[in-house]
Amino acid sequence: MTQPLDLQSVTARYGTTKVLEDLSLAVGAGELVSLLGASGCGKTTTLRLIAGFLAPTSGAIRLGGRDLTRLPAYRRNIGLVFQNYALFPHLSVRGNVGFGLKQRGVPTAERERRVRAMLDRVGLGEYADRLPAALSGGQRQRVALARALVIEPPLLMFDEPLSNLDAKLRVDMRVEIRQLQRSNGTTSVYVTHDQEEAFSISDRVAIMHAGRVMQFDRPETLYRRPANVFVARFVGFENIVPMRVTAREGASIQAEVAGIALALTEEAMGPVPDRFLLGARPEGLLATPVAATGIPATIGIRTYLGRAYQYRCDTPAGPLVANGPLSQPLDPGTQAWLVPVPDQCCVLSPERTP
Amino acid sequence: MTPRLNPAVVAVAVLVYLFLVGPLVIILGASLSDTTYLTFPPQGLSLRWFENIFEISAFRRTIVTSFQVAFLATMLALVIGVPAAYALSRYRVQLPPWLGTLFVLPIIVPEIVFGFALLKSVAAGAGAPIFVALLAGHTVLVLPYVVRVIGASLSSFDFSIEEAAVSLGSPPMKTFFTIVLPNVRAGVIAAFILAFITSLNDVSVSLFLTGPGISTLPIQILAHVEQFFDPTVASVSVLLMVLTVGFMAIVERTLGLTFLAK
Amino acid sequence: MRRFAGWLLSAPATLAVIGILVVPVAVVLAATLTDPRGPWAPYAAFFNSGFRTTVLVRTLQISAITTVISLVFGFVAAYAVSRAPRRLRSLLIVAAVFPLLTGVVVRAFAWLVILGRNGILNGALVAAGVTDEPFALLYTQGAVIVGMVYLFVPLMILTLVGVLENIPEDLLQASASLGATPTATFWQVLMPMAVPGLIVGAVLVFTGSFTAYATPQLLGGERQTVLATLLQQRAMVSFDWVGASTIAAIMVAITISVVLVMSRTARRLNPVAAS
Repeated sequence: MTQPLDLQSVTARYGTTKVLEDLSLAVGAGELVSLLGASGCGKTTTLRLIAGFLAPTSGAIRLGGRDLTRLPAYRRNIGLVFQNYALFPHLSVRGNVGFGLKQRGVPTAERERRVRAMLDRVGLGEYADRLPAALSGGQRQRVALARALVIEPPLLMFDEPLSNLDAKLRVDMRVEIRQLQRSNGTTSVYVTHDQEEAFSISDRVAIMHAGRVMQFDRPETLYRRPANVFVARFVGFENIVPMRVTAREGASIQAEVAGIALALTEEAMGPVPDRFLLGARPEGLLATPVAATGIPATIGIRTYLGRAYQYRCDTPAGPLVANGPLSQPLDPGTQAWLVPVPDQCCVLSPERTP
Repeated sequence: MTPRLNPAVVAVAVLVYLFLVGPLVIILGASLSDTTYLTFPPQGLSLRWFENIFEISAFRRTIVTSFQVAFLATMLALVIGVPAAYALSRYRVQLPPWLGTLFVLPIIVPEIVFGFALLKSVAAGAGAPIFVALLAGHTVLVLPYVVRVIGASLSSFDFSIEEAAVSLGSPPMKTFFTIVLPNVRAGVIAAFILAFITSLNDVSVSLFLTGPGISTLPIQILAHVEQFFDPTVASVSVLLMVLTVGFMAIVERTLGLTFLAK
Repeated sequence: MRRFAGWLLSAPATLAVIGILVVPVAVVLAATLTDPRGPWAPYAAFFNSGFRTTVLVRTLQISAITTVISLVFGFVAAYAVSRAPRRLRSLLIVAAVFPLLTGVVVRAFAWLVILGRNGILNGALVAAGVTDEPFALLYTQGAVIVGMVYLFVPLMILTLVGVLENIPEDLLQASASLGATPTATFWQVLMPMAVPGLIVGAVLVFTGSFTAYATPQLLGGERQTVLATLLQQRAMVSFDWVGASTIAAIMVAITISVVLVMSRTARRLNPVAAS
């Protein structure tokens, strides 16, 4: 049942604007892959191309052994969960969930049985005769999910399915979606702009920007080892400092920026080329009043984060954002040192800056 | 990219549109004919039938009356309709729901019944001059358009802006004219045009309220057509269509034409 | 003061509608019930007259046929308009608004030019050798129906375009993603959702053609007398005011019944009304 999805150099152009540029993406059988990016990055276009609502200018879309590229949407057999659920307002919950089976000519008795089973599975057994208008947001979401799952598609797709729910429900639903997807083992594509949602739910995430995939990796890798400056900034490496290696001794490295020497280690950061960009999250730069081997800085605005203080600082390497412990609040205008915390830092090649 | 339309659907739609536009083109052609009878395609181009309109005194008189009635009825409907539309959206909670229904009655009650009823009460009252009755009838006839179009504009108006103006020291009356009205200007223009055209085109109400010396253009056209079969009426029709095009251009400028489709 | 602001502002318009429309119409309706011959005598007279009942039946028939034809063609055209590219769609909407804003007299007159004995259609038929003798097309029920359809198709198109455009694209895509062919989507999703709009359109066209005056007068003449033209004759030619009032009452009763019945049906069929 479960099948791999393969996008092969798909390009989509509308008039003169290129929406997708030579996009290739291989989703393994049973895998849940998220397309993550800001609006306009091409993630929704990609989903609509796979669904068959748009046609690519060039390239191919394959699911299992089938070439979908020229197949009309209604023959693709893909389960799709829409952002606004897109429930048919004139059909009951039962009618909505049974719609796809009816199209496939499943006999009434069998259809009824499968709809029942699916509704029980998503916990909506008692709501079979309700109209969508009489359901809460979370219940509508479940109907949409049931409707997409009941046709047992080889591929499931989600278009920002949780964006209309409140925060608490959103977390519950994503666990539920992950559970259903896992137990079915259905290959899935999940479109979202919410980083936490994408990382928590996915096997792999494709971070998209301007119609291209910037990096396609496991969430852990994306979070710790971004491949380029765009992804690094996207996952929270707010400080990007260009550096030069001055000395190496085993895994220990001496590097320099604006005449300031820093001690780093390849053990925590991976291989470091001679010229590189040091990416650091605010928590990857520890602000301390004690003179240390760090970047000298003048403290600017201090904000309170609950678990730490955050400081905007002026440094010889430019403005940086650093965190400091609650036990040691630093006042604006005072002198401090920003010490890199290697496992909250990453190394980026300057060549790969887009 | 929506799925391709069925060619049969497209074909029927094209036919429907030909059916819609064709007759109007034919009138235009017929109005330009040089012959004394109606024909299409026109034989010999001439504007003589346009000149003829103004040589017939009945046309001259009824054109003036129709424009007078349309203008005055529209202004009256605006004067009483704008406050009503404002009240209906601003004070919805304190007004009963039937009030909204009352203002669509002139559309629901068959026009011809309305016209006849007015005639009967004028005859009963005996005193009211026919022109006054005509004007009153048209005012009520176009009132629903005023209330509805301006109501639609007001429904997207944020009344907190008005409250902001009042909180800054502007008295309510002044606020209405300086803050509310300018923001629904487009609605007022559209309401004016829609009301004006409705009054200008009306047959069923005017039918009963025309008497010696007073008639409206549509009634005069009906009378003329029953006696003569020359292109004069085609020319009048073309003039009315030109007026309509002009009005549509104004609406297009102020609101976008899709507004009229609502 | 503020408590009455709404009332004060709406008072002039309210009084105008009541004084100029509601009261005179009520007086007309009441007159039919206070006839010296007895409360229902005018109605008995109406329904005992073969001519008048024929007119009533004819009017109903013309309105029903007009409604059905306008529904079918209006829906197909509206469907095409709603799926047309943006610019073409605006153009098509304008092309429907324009006839609507052109007066009924002008629009009926156009068909006089086309259908007349020396009209364009007969001219073309003779020229094409289909017939030697021009057909009597005018003053037939067909002529009235064509004129009425011409009158009301734009209204139907505009009503239905509004309805069809309000059906979210998402729903049609959801239907396709679940395997529904375009035909299945049309019948199982689009149509059921358009039904309330179709009913509204049907009511507008039916009541409109049921009470139309100028079109049947010009294209139907005396041979195709309908209720509206009969009312006018009774009132203005025969000065039979009781007879005219009775016709008015019957028109009001049928119009209001149609509006009520259909709006109830629409409400029952409209699934979104629950929200």
